[in-house]
Amino acid sequence: MPCNPAIGGTAKGHLVREIDALGGLMARAIDATGIQFKLLNRSRGPAVWSPRAQADKGRYSAWVKAALEAEPNIHWIIGRAGRILLDGGRVSGLALEDGAVFPCGALVITTGTFLNGVIHVGQEQRPSGRAGEPPSRDLAESIKDLGMKWGRLKTGTPPRLARRSIDFEQGVKSGVFHVEHGDSEPIPFSFTATQSPMNTAVCHLLHTTDRVHQLVRSNIGASPLYNGQISGIGPRYCPSLEDKVMRFPDRERHQLFLEPEGLDVEEIYVNGFSMSLPVETQRELIHSLPGLESAEMLRPGYAVEYDFVQPTELRSSLETHRVAGLFFAGQINGTSGYEEAAGQGLLAGANAARSVLGRPPLVLGREEAYLGILVDDLVTKGCLEPYRMFTSRAEYRLLLRTDNADLRLTPRGREAGLVDDERWERYGRRRKRYDTNLDRIRKTWVRVEGGARVPAAQALKRPEVTLGSLVSAGDVVLETTPDDFALDTSSVETTVKYEGYLVRQEQAVARAQQAERRRIPEAFPFERVPGLSREMVQRFSETRPETLGQAQRIPGVTPAAVAVVGAYLNRF
Amino acid sequence: MFSTSDTIVAIATPAGRGGLGVVRISGPAAAPVAGELAGREEPFRPRYATFATITPAAGDAASAVGDQVVITFFPTPHSYTGEDVVEVSAHGSPVVLSSLLRRAIDAGARLAEPGEFTLRAFLNGKLDLIQAEAVADLIDAVTPLQARVAFDQLEGTLTGAITAIEGDLFDVIAKLEASLDFPDEGYHFVGSEEAGAALASLGDRIDRLLGESARGRLIREGAQVAIVGAPNVGKSSLFNALLNANRAIVTAVAGTTRDLVTERADLGGLSLALIDTAGVRETSDPVEREGVARTRDALRVADLVLVVLDGSREMGDEDRGILAETAHLPRVVVLNKSDLKGSGIFSIAQGVLGLNWSATSTQAGPGVEPFAENAPQHRESRLGRSGKDPRPLFSVSAQTGAGLDDLIAGVAEALSTGGIEFRDQPAVSNVRHTALLARARGALARATEALEGQVSEEFPLLDLQEAAHALQEITGRRTSDDLLRHIFERFCIGK
Ligand SMILES: Cc1cc2nc3c(=O)[nH]c(=O)nc-3n(C[C@H](O)[C@H](O)[C@H](O)COP(=O)(O)OP(=O)(O)OC[C@H]3O[C@@H](n4cnc5c(N)ncnc54)[C@H](O)[C@@H]3O)c2cc1C
Ligand SMILES: Nc1nc2c(ncn2[C@@H]2O[C@H](COP(=O)(O)OP(=O)(O)OP(=O)(O)O)[C@@H](O)[C@H]2O)c(=O)[nH]1
Ligand SMILES: [Mg+2]
Repeated sequence: MPCNPAIGGTAKGHLVREIDALGGLMARAIDATGIQFKLLNRSRGPAVWSPRAQADKGRYSAWVKAALEAEPNIHWIIGRAGRILLDGGRVSGLALEDGAVFPCGALVITTGTFLNGVIHVGQEQRPSGRAGEPPSRDLAESIKDLGMKWGRLKTGTPPRLARRSIDFEQGVKSGVFHVEHGDSEPIPFSFTATQSPMNTAVCHLLHTTDRVHQLVRSNIGASPLYNGQISGIGPRYCPSLEDKVMRFPDRERHQLFLEPEGLDVEEIYVNGFSMSLPVETQRELIHSLPGLESAEMLRPGYAVEYDFVQPTELRSSLETHRVAGLFFAGQINGTSGYEEAAGQGLLAGANAARSVLGRPPLVLGREEAYLGILVDDLVTKGCLEPYRMFTSRAEYRLLLRTDNADLRLTPRGREAGLVDDERWERYGRRRKRYDTNLDRIRKTWVRVEGGARVPAAQALKRPEVTLGSLVSAGDVVLETTPDDFALDTSSVETTVKYEGYLVRQEQAVARAQQAERRRIPEAFPFERVPGLSREMVQRFSETRPETLGQAQRIPGVTPAAVAVVGAYLNRF
Repeated sequence: MFSTSDTIVAIATPAGRGGLGVVRISGPAAAPVAGELAGREEPFRPRYATFATITPAAGDAASAVGDQVVITFFPTPHSYTGEDVVEVSAHGSPVVLSSLLRRAIDAGARLAEPGEFTLRAFLNGKLDLIQAEAVADLIDAVTPLQARVAFDQLEGTLTGAITAIEGDLFDVIAKLEASLDFPDEGYHFVGSEEAGAALASLGDRIDRLLGESARGRLIREGAQVAIVGAPNVGKSSLFNALLNANRAIVTAVAGTTRDLVTERADLGGLSLALIDTAGVRETSDPVEREGVARTRDALRVADLVLVVLDGSREMGDEDRGILAETAHLPRVVVLNKSDLKGSGIFSIAQGVLGLNWSATSTQAGPGVEPFAENAPQHRESRLGRSGKDPRPLFSVSAQTGAGLDDLIAGVAEALSTGGIEFRDQPAVSNVRHTALLARARGALARATEALEGQVSEEFPLLDLQEAAHALQEITGRRTSDDLLRHIFERFCIGK
């Protein structure tokens, strides 16, 4: 976790739930090591409720490491990967930088920000994957030798402060800090969770001041972001302090959060204060913040520039078009964020194994999962800037909720061999409860305001009626357990309450399926389709869409061009 | 993506008035659609010309146009596109053709994108590669919008207005989306009241466009033209002459016509309802009195009035009365019986109209705006902004036909300059734009209702996205990346 030790957030929380539904570790890791849990968007509808939690950074890493080490089928080789070995068009092995060679049937590369990574702090720049670690140059060369299209992106991280040097109490008392607690009833991420997670950490909200903005402006020439030293494109949704000040001069202040990186660690993460100004300026900026006049900076913020592979090089399985058996996952594909990386890692890992076993890949649809949207966006559109998930990327947002991630995906994960027996049995019970409860709600009659008797399902469509209230009034008896109550009621209630909207979305899905189901063979000769202009042929050939649906989503491709391809699908 | 499996329809003949026009329908449902148009159950015989009368669709004023047509069915694969094709030949008036188009759409066909017939012909191997060059151009047009550049030039202002509406809607959507995706930003992107107000204004703007397009259609297709005047001036004769048919009874007896006689006429490419009326005079005959009352009804609904005077007669009280009564209406004054010796009424009529040009000229002089002068406001509401004013006075002979062409041109001009310009092929875009606008309007209304119900943003957003998609079908597509770009450009987001 090179950056903010937090998991989840809008749309990212959805990804975590989906990873969990497919048997991944992330949700269980954060449930076990999180220190503050919040459900974002609680005041809105269930489709956009997104869990978020802060992790104890050290414990999180240790938990994941232990979980992986406990897997009997993982064989560890610790070393620096240098070269991808090929045999014909297929991957045949990996050579480490020290020359050791390991043959393999499939290979997943997940080098994050390490490919030709360069860290910038003021004028100072040094090759590095992230603070304190050398970049991967050989591997970058090796990937480029394969003819892959690549680009350069940047990201950044804020300075870390020493907890002991900050007087939180005084800051709160004088009104410059605002205390932020977790939810009173923390909701765990994992569908398998049986206990309430730890939720004791507090964060502090504060704001930048005019003086801070002035300092940034007068030192802007020393920022590698503004003096031309950095050419990589950064994420707009996570702007550096320099960007906030320079691009939004009208904003009088910006919010910052002081977040502990763990329960008993010294590092305080200054969320919102990412920058690459010289160390001295960073210190000065921190000391200009109200309440932090004498804070000690443990580590400066920095920007890191790195190479990424254009994900249009990938199929929906995350296998490369060019080299069979070679998979890429994570930030190397232009994404940013732990959840996006974890989701890809899960899919790429599963599909690497499946390719060795000669089984078809696990590919999720846009209507099935945010994970499906993530992969589909990457492979059809490529990346112009670091890619982060948002709920607005989901055209079927109302169907892709955190409460039904297991209902949507656990069977898919089971089919793909990712879901163990325990989770599968748990799913079976949950599914049965869901179906039973839905049925009950439709068949139980309740009295509503005005005295009329209607099916509970109909009563639930009224805004003021909740399933919880029907249950506590004894009008409806649900098949559930205290542990499962929240999840069970939530998914049943949503299904019933928003039925009209959900049906509309399902109809939209059905309409789109016609194009999504028409497959384009990997070797389809776009150049032989009469009438297609060179530009269109190029766009299609670069992206190699696997379905007509994907072909439609390639930027710059026209409806007519897709229609022509569609018509020729059956002819070649 | 264009679907290549549905049934499409478009006007296939080049734009222009008069002559013959063809509406082409292609796709699996081509024959059923044509069957519905012609109200015909039995199948069409392949490649045989079948005569049919298109009956006006009930309740649709825009389609209240019946017409004699010839229908020819070309079953797949021996057709222009290689699919089932039906060609409907009708009078070449764009009005008739677009009315057929609309009815075909009502019957389930989809309005073809420009070039789509060629595309299908090409896909079905009906065109060789060289012919398909045109298809390649189509393929390179990034959006349907670009493929319609030619159309859009015709419809420039409408598209411009829609683009502006779509842009503002996009902005509302972006703010609502931002509220969902960035809930912990510490400030609101848009409150529900502000969003509601924005949607209300967008709804009004769409309503105005829809109203305008309805008015344009009325003028082009459903304009009502009433022929009025004193008894015996030759109204019925003129009516018959304009129709080129002996529809109304003509006698030398004053007070022959006792009721309204309406007939569809095709004048100068304009389809209109021509109304013959009873001559206006004081009378004790109850039947004739009722007839005169109906004449006044006709005056109320008419989009244009032809006031007929008898040029061989002195101006009488009845003539003066009718001139006064119609002074505030869009009108054209017709001096009939020009084959007879003139009485001097011509110059009197000029005087009444406030015209001061020479008696020998029937052309309006520059700067003469009799209607605007008489009743600018009424004209404004009736026929929209005025451009060039039409000629107010025509000298004709209903008996010999002299001057009729001039009069017809004058009528067409009076109807078109006052309203939306009548152009050669605007109907194509219009039908499409109108349908999409209406869809957007409906979705907007649902979103507004949802917002008022205080539900969370993602629900109204479902409707707003639908509205946006409808508008974007006119203005070109946008993606979720565009949306995020818009958000990030406007708001400083990110902790
Ligand atoms: C400075 C910085 C700031 C960030 N800020 C945020 C943020 O604010 N919010 C957010 O959501 N995300 C942020 N991220 C992104 C997030 O950390 C990454 O997207 C995510 O961790 C990527 O996961 P990954 O598995 O692809 O790569 P990483 O987590 O980067 O892991 C790559 C791993 O590959 C190893 N490796 C590299 N090269 C080799 C080699 N040749 N041989 C063997 N091993 C190799 C490395 O040692 C490393 O362990 C930030 C990242 C950085 C670096
Ligand atoms: N010479 C000449 N006679 C005409 C002309 N137009 C009409 N007439 C004659 O004028 C008489 C009246 O014609 P109508 O067309 O019936 O007149 P009208 O205005 O409809 O009369 P009412 O219906 O009775 O009000 C008939 O005898 C026509 O033949 C014309 O242009 N020239
Ligand atoms: Mg008459």
